[in-house]
Amino acid sequence: MENRNLEKALEIFSALIKGEEISRKNKDTASLYDEYNDNAQVYDIVTMMCKKMNLSLYEYKDTLYVSPGVGNKVFGYSNEELKREIGIRVNRELYLCYFIMYGVITRFYTDTSTGTFTEYVRREDIINTVDGMLASTMKNIGIMTLDEVKENSFEAVAALWEELPLVISEETSVVKAARGSKSGFVKMVFNFMEKQGLLVENEGRYYPTGRLSALIENYFEQYKGELYNIVKGAAEDATYKQNQSE
Amino acid sequence: MSEEYVLTRDIIYDHSERMLNIRKYYPFFKVADTSFKQYRDGEFECLDMGYILMAVLRFFIEKNNFEEEYVTYEQYYDFMVEILHRDFGVRPDEDIEKELVLYIFDKIRNDGKPFVYEYFNPVDKKKQNVRVRLIDSRIENDTVYYSITSDAIEFYLDTKEVKDESNITMEQLLLGKLISSKNFRGGTQVVRRINNEVGRIIARKNEVLNILSHDVFKGVREYQDFNDNVVKWFDEEQKLFAKNKELIDQALRQGERENSFYSAMEEIYQLESELNRAITRHGKLLSECTDLQMKADELISKAKYGRLRTSFDFTDYMSRVMETDRTELLENIIMPMLGLNIRKRFDLVSIDDMLTYGPEKEEAGEKITDEEIKDYVYEDEKEDERIKWNYRIFTDVFFKLVKSKREIELTEFENAVSDTTGKDVLKNGDWYSYLVHLCQKKHYSVNDIISRTDTFLEEIIKEYLEESEERYMVYKNLVFNIQTTGQEIVSEGISERMNLIICAEEDSH
Repeated sequence: MENRNLEKALEIFSALIKGEEISRKNKDTASLYDEYNDNAQVYDIVTMMCKKMNLSLYEYKDTLYVSPGVGNKVFGYSNEELKREIGIRVNRELYLCYFIMYGVITRFYTDTSTGTFTEYVRREDIINTVDGMLASTMKNIGIMTLDEVKENSFEAVAALWEELPLVISEETSVVKAARGSKSGFVKMVFNFMEKQGLLVENEGRYYPTGRLSALIENYFEQYKGELYNIVKGAAEDATYKQNQSE
Repeated sequence: MSEEYVLTRDIIYDHSERMLNIRKYYPFFKVADTSFKQYRDGEFECLDMGYILMAVLRFFIEKNNFEEEYVTYEQYYDFMVEILHRDFGVRPDEDIEKELVLYIFDKIRNDGKPFVYEYFNPVDKKKQNVRVRLIDSRIENDTVYYSITSDAIEFYLDTKEVKDESNITMEQLLLGKLISSKNFRGGTQVVRRINNEVGRIIARKNEVLNILSHDVFKGVREYQDFNDNVVKWFDEEQKLFAKNKELIDQALRQGERENSFYSAMEEIYQLESELNRAITRHGKLLSECTDLQMKADELISKAKYGRLRTSFDFTDYMSRVMETDRTELLENIIMPMLGLNIRKRFDLVSIDDMLTYGPEKEEAGEKITDEEIKDYVYEDEKEDERIKWNYRIFTDVFFKLVKSKREIELTEFENAVSDTTGKDVLKNGDWYSYLVHLCQKKHYSVNDIISRTDTFLEEIIKEYLEESEERYMVYKNLVFNIQTTGQEIVSEGISERMNLIICAEEDSH
């Protein structure tokens, strides 16, 4: 192995974990991208390092993207860290944020191979999407016993969402990212997704970035089997628990 | 026995249904209960929230269902100002008026939260909550639009009629009777209520379509329910419309022929035009339901094919996650999308612990006992004990040395003590004070010490000898003298001292 190749590979890896964009379109990192793309040894080292660090590396439209995947103790976020980053306090709010982010994804993609041709989303689009996704659950919580609502259940998320007013005041021109209203909550999630490089904002319209597309079209395609197994396991677990309690 | 069974069954098993039916009235009483006595020192005590609520609901029905447009806050504001001026004669300053109108709106919307009504479910033996909203809101192009909910429309309609599975059928039967009894004005009111009901069903249809587009499985159940409660009545409703139309036509023909109802002709024309409008709206509802059916079929077949596709389907995955009812599983989708977390920080709790506590996480509690203090030991007593203990060790070494060697020098004594207790003893203050005490007398006799002690050191020597009979027997005849040689001994790290020679006398044996 040539020292030069190792050095280049380390340079690429270091840039990736620092969140820098390695792209043919970026003049500062175009040479690194070419090294990765044209030099087999550099490619092998970078791929190996990512694999050993439990990171997933994807190439999308001449740009490299890295994902920490699920349960990455070194590069992933803990619930507490996420709550601090987004600006929320309890897990219930965090799960609502997940739900909103999921709503954003589904506005752009129905599945990993089909885009919806939606160019951008606005705050009100996501509020309507979340309303729709939670509609049947909200109908269920129309009649419920308070102690029956588990903290991590969708009923809890729906109840939290339903109790939020649409806006705090009638003044809607400036909506602050805050936990006090649906608009504020969605704005808070938008800000976080923008910070994570998944969306870019222009005049209140949020456009998907290359990173969002890269991960949706690659990561979920690659790990779909495992993701379905996790849900299957959870469903069986839930059925088992239900039978036990009966 | 069977009567008792029926009674119990009616009480227990029908209770929840009854509660669900009356839930739509709950927000009215809750809002109507709002008193203006405390608001701005009772300045607007004359306002009646019950009346205001009914007026606002009617206004929303007019806008949402008849004019088919959403209501903005400005529209509501203008309407409410009109109510305040016209019906209550309240004309406050503009700022106060704005505040008052907003206060009323917040009360009607319950600050954007649903009204929660709690009741006891005797079947499950649990308290349950029912949630009802009167006004819904949506945001479009930075403007908030408000609309009346289907619950609120149902409530409004129910305040003047009997609820049945199909309000339209019920109303039409009533309309038929009113036309037969030539009450055309009453008939017009009934037809207007039919129009309201049609509006409510269209709103319900949109809700079903919304659920279908996000969750096919739950949507199908809602769709089935909608079909059972709405669509199956269409035929009958259409027949009744035709029948009532025929009745009106007959009335018109009869009126024109006999001229006897001339004064009522205007009312008949009005009723006819309202009924025509209702028939058009009902036809529109029918086409909406056909549209719903087509869309439902399309969504169901799309969902079926989606399940067979090899790509990862986000909608399908969400439905599966929702079936498990574990929201934390969503992190499997969200976490991989996030960037790398390379900034590591202590969490606030750890930082707080570090600042608040010392090396140990918490102090060990001190055990409190009720023991009575019997003896006090002072610091000087402790020192005396220490000195005595050390002198006894030095004396022991000294006596053994003198007994065995008969003549010794200070350095020999020092070496022997160092061998027994360690080199550091030569830097010990007790050692030097021992030598000072020892040199207070030049002649010592053990027998004399036992019989009479002159110095502090002799007292310790006496105690030392009396401790053991055997020891006393060994040293009882020991007699020795101490002389100084006049020579100074200088050693590194140790104090300067004058050399001594200790000689035992002959009879010491």
